[in-house]
Amino acid sequence: MPQGTGAIWDSLRTPGLYRPQSSERPQIDRAEVLRYLGYAGQELKPDLAERIEHVICQVEETLLPSGVRQAFPVDATGTDEDGLPCVRLAGTTVELRGRDAYRHLRGACCCMLLVCTLGMASERALRLLGSRRPLESAVYDAACSAYVEAALDQMDAAVSDDAQKLGLSRNWRFSAGYGDCPLEAQDSIVATCNAGRLLGVTVTPAHLLLPSKSVTAFVGLFEGEPASANDRPGCSTCRLRGSCAYRARGTTCYRS
Amino acid sequence: MDFSLDTAAPVTAAREAGYAYTPRSLDRVRADDDLRAVLEGRRHLLFDGGMGTMLQAAGLKAGERPELLNLTHPDAIRRVHEAYVAAGCEVVTTNTFGANAHKLDGAATVQEVFDAAVRIARASGARYVAGDIGPIGALLRPMGTLSFDEAYELFAEQVRAAAAAGVDLFIIETMTDLAEIKAAVLACRENSDLPIFATMTFEGDGRTFLGTSPEVAAVTLDALGVDALGINCSLGPAELHPLARRMLAVTAKPIIVQANAGLPRIEDGRTVYDIAPEAYAQAVRGMVDDGVTIVGGCCGTTPEYMRLLAEVLQNHEPIARSMDPVFTTTSAQRLVALPQDEQRIAVIGERINPTGKKRLQRALRDGDLDYVVGQGISQQEQGADVLDVNVGLPGIDEADTICRVCEQLSGAVSLPLQIDSTDPVAVEAAVRRYAGKPIINSVNGKRESLDAILPIAAHYGADVVGLTLDERGIPETAKARFEIAQRIVNEAAGYGIGPERILIDCLVMTASTNQNQALEILRAVALCRARLGVRCTLGVSNISFGLPARELMNATFLSAAFGAGLDAPIMNPGSARYMDVVRSFRVLNAEDEGSSAFIERYGTWADPYKVASGAVPAAASSPAPAGDGRATADASTSTGASTAAADVPQSDTELAQHLILTGRRDGMREAVERLLATNDPMDVVNGILIPALDEVGRLFDQGKYFLPQLMASAEAARAGFDTIRDVMPADDVTSKGAVCLATVKGDIHDIGKNIVRMLLENYGYAVFDLGRDVDPEDVLACVRERGVRVVGLSALMTTTVPAMRKTVELLHAEVPDVKVIVGGAVLTPEYAREIGADYYAKDAAETARICEELFS
Repeated sequence: MPQGTGAIWDSLRTPGLYRPQSSERPQIDRAEVLRYLGYAGQELKPDLAERIEHVICQVEETLLPSGVRQAFPVDATGTDEDGLPCVRLAGTTVELRGRDAYRHLRGACCCMLLVCTLGMASERALRLLGSRRPLESAVYDAACSAYVEAALDQMDAAVSDDAQKLGLSRNWRFSAGYGDCPLEAQDSIVATCNAGRLLGVTVTPAHLLLPSKSVTAFVGLFEGEPASANDRPGCSTCRLRGSCAYRARGTTCYRS
Repeated sequence: MDFSLDTAAPVTAAREAGYAYTPRSLDRVRADDDLRAVLEGRRHLLFDGGMGTMLQAAGLKAGERPELLNLTHPDAIRRVHEAYVAAGCEVVTTNTFGANAHKLDGAATVQEVFDAAVRIARASGARYVAGDIGPIGALLRPMGTLSFDEAYELFAEQVRAAAAAGVDLFIIETMTDLAEIKAAVLACRENSDLPIFATMTFEGDGRTFLGTSPEVAAVTLDALGVDALGINCSLGPAELHPLARRMLAVTAKPIIVQANAGLPRIEDGRTVYDIAPEAYAQAVRGMVDDGVTIVGGCCGTTPEYMRLLAEVLQNHEPIARSMDPVFTTTSAQRLVALPQDEQRIAVIGERINPTGKKRLQRALRDGDLDYVVGQGISQQEQGADVLDVNVGLPGIDEADTICRVCEQLSGAVSLPLQIDSTDPVAVEAAVRRYAGKPIINSVNGKRESLDAILPIAAHYGADVVGLTLDERGIPETAKARFEIAQRIVNEAAGYGIGPERILIDCLVMTASTNQNQALEILRAVALCRARLGVRCTLGVSNISFGLPARELMNATFLSAAFGAGLDAPIMNPGSARYMDVVRSFRVLNAEDEGSSAFIERYGTWADPYKVASGAVPAAASSPAPAGDGRATADASTSTGASTAAADVPQSDTELAQHLILTGRRDGMREAVERLLATNDPMDVVNGILIPALDEVGRLFDQGKYFLPQLMASAEAARAGFDTIRDVMPADDVTSKGAVCLATVKGDIHDIGKNIVRMLLENYGYAVFDLGRDVDPEDVLACVRERGVRVVGLSALMTTTVPAMRKTVELLHAEVPDVKVIVGGAVLTPEYAREIGADYYAKDAAETARICEELFS
């Protein structure tokens, strides 16, 4: 990490808590919820639209996202035991394996780790709806996915602000599990960000996050032009592109 | 000394093996005089401060396991301990916060780490060495994937290692899950005789991440027999002060607080915390003045902070504290309290009891826990305060079933549970694993019952319902009932169970056959309440057996029983009439302060008795039971058919199909009822409902419908099927075949699987839904037990596909005739073939089509 001084540098390196008040909470993108539910322009009758909207409002009104972010210096020179690129974050146990993470972080001065969650209340609500009310449950699930993304967008916007103040550029946020970056990295990201203690996020033996409406991500910060600046993770790096239901409908699982 | 002789778990197994149960008390705890004085609240004790903070300052990597430093850098750890001892700390905490087999993950053994950590701590010259036990780092079921028993084993391994290495006490800390801390406390109690200190961590909203409040934590930990309890981490001392006060108000146990030094930030490249030592000590002083006797520090605190705390404690006399006896029961999210000197009402919901309930019996036999949990959710919505859970049915494994039901209930409802069984093994199995302080229903005056149930209640700190019957049966007089109650109270006292933990049930006899007993029962309630220090419960509805207008009789009896001192009626909260009585009595006993809840609910209430004179009855008020002669609302005025648009077809066949196609439930029941008047039920299913569902499936497949539309249609169809099921005798509704569904081991996503289930049930299959995170062996067991031919497996993540492969392989090896359908976001047809699945389904509609093919 550049040995710059001053409050901004310190703020990048300080574990940054994201705890929006009710008035600051993000808005759920309705179109995104519908897209997660497979919507592709079908006729949506008012009563069903109302049911969906009701669930989305419930998510917005009852859940408050929380998150933590922290930047660490990048060492993109290493390889793993198979000789594949392995990006390490200095002073941490984080190892981001594979070509995609390498392409994303090579040349970065530091990497901002982000962890965001909707908390155990979302998990309880999903259990409560469960198979008793499958429609509400599916909508709730989709609304939570959109909500946690919206929360991450807020955290991300703050990263952009800080990067700009420092004269740094940044690239897209990337997550373990995309491309060839193994999901296993989530364990060390959660541990490094102390997200268990700070947010109540845990990782299962299969490297899934619990509460399930949680996300880890990382962003490269650069002194010059960012790596993969225009190469946003999308269908090109996705191993499911051949059988993707979204693509079949002419949409994507992410916002384009 | 072999402690397993008297406190071996489970209690029932130890008793079976001939051991006598002795309850734990302070004089059975191994502690020197000073430590004993601390545990009795007569002496202060100063713990140490942060360890992780100091190690990170010394170069520990973020995300690294600090416990391994005990083996690699013992001197660095020792220097931290020594600095705290020099600052005046009496207790140093071993560097073993995450030293469990799950987190160590083979990097070292638990014993190695504890041996080294305790040796280092001893070498610091500290007066006491506390064996530190932190969270496992994996979430317990029902939210997570770790079982209570697995958690217990992980903790027990730590406890045995720490005890063997020579710690003086245990500090269980930073817990957020009541189930997890319960497993840790039991592991300490059952594997050592050392003092147990236990703390939980609360967020700014005053709850742990899993929703536990300081009151719930304090009451539950107190009941479990920890010796000191309290709060650590997350917030600074000033913010923890009000939370500590809330704990002080509900327990007489010594309270421990270990606050953070605020939040960390980087200044000039160094980590600093925003609360300075002086301000920290000042805030702690306030807590000590309020009655907190044990203090220390957490994240960000250093020896400098502790030196100031030592000054705070010096020459400070602990405040003597005592508690009025209160009946308390808890879930992880809720505390229900019934004080001795005032009468409060707690409604115990009785609906989870298969006696006389065919649908619930079927659900229990089929393992359909969703239905059972649904009964709990609706009672919570109706106003129950506690849920009675009884799953006793001939031919089912009661201990296994009640544990699974309680686990699922605790994930969906927030009410404390009352474990209702005549089988002590089932009682203990459920009480042991329950995240909270449950009520046991029940013990009675028979010697056999007292000997079997009271040790369980004592060991797990549970409450107990005492029935006033004994070897001679149920006595007729109030006095004789009182005498049995008194005997139960005396026996319980021998196990350390005070009367405040007992609910006496004076046993309601039916008025139609024992008319002279009705008032005797109420007299018995008044006697027990006045003289024994207990609370009283009654199964109210027994009074009206054999009489007409049962709800009227029950409501009258309920009012009278409240007048006699009844605290906790066991009743159906779904009866608006009973709840009307409860809510109005809560005004009379001053529980509903300022009558505000009553006014809010009944302010615009239309009294059903006034219906005859022209008022419109309120939907939520008491529905008049059939045959009591009162006017009732005209049900025909409110069918949902009016919601359908102008293009609604006229014939009932077309209407039913139209409702399915447009995804509307309202009006479906009526349409199907009319159809059943002139059609054979199976013709309605196969000729009307299924073709409409097929059409929906086609539209979905063509992309003309999207998922919520498919599901709304499935709901409408289900309303039709439910109507047919209600009308027809159960045996006549033949299932098309049985399908077993599961989300594979390790995977926690079940939305997709739930959609498949809904659709398959609509098509008339018997679906055995095993839930999520399911072991391959459990799928196989279900296939064998239920004679299932088709299995549907779901996996959402690449990391769980190997578990899917394993399940497919096991099924193909053991039951080669069974066909396996797989689906889930990461699967592709190629991938499905590669792992050996028989079919790949891209969505729920396709799963239904494959099943049609397989079962045709």
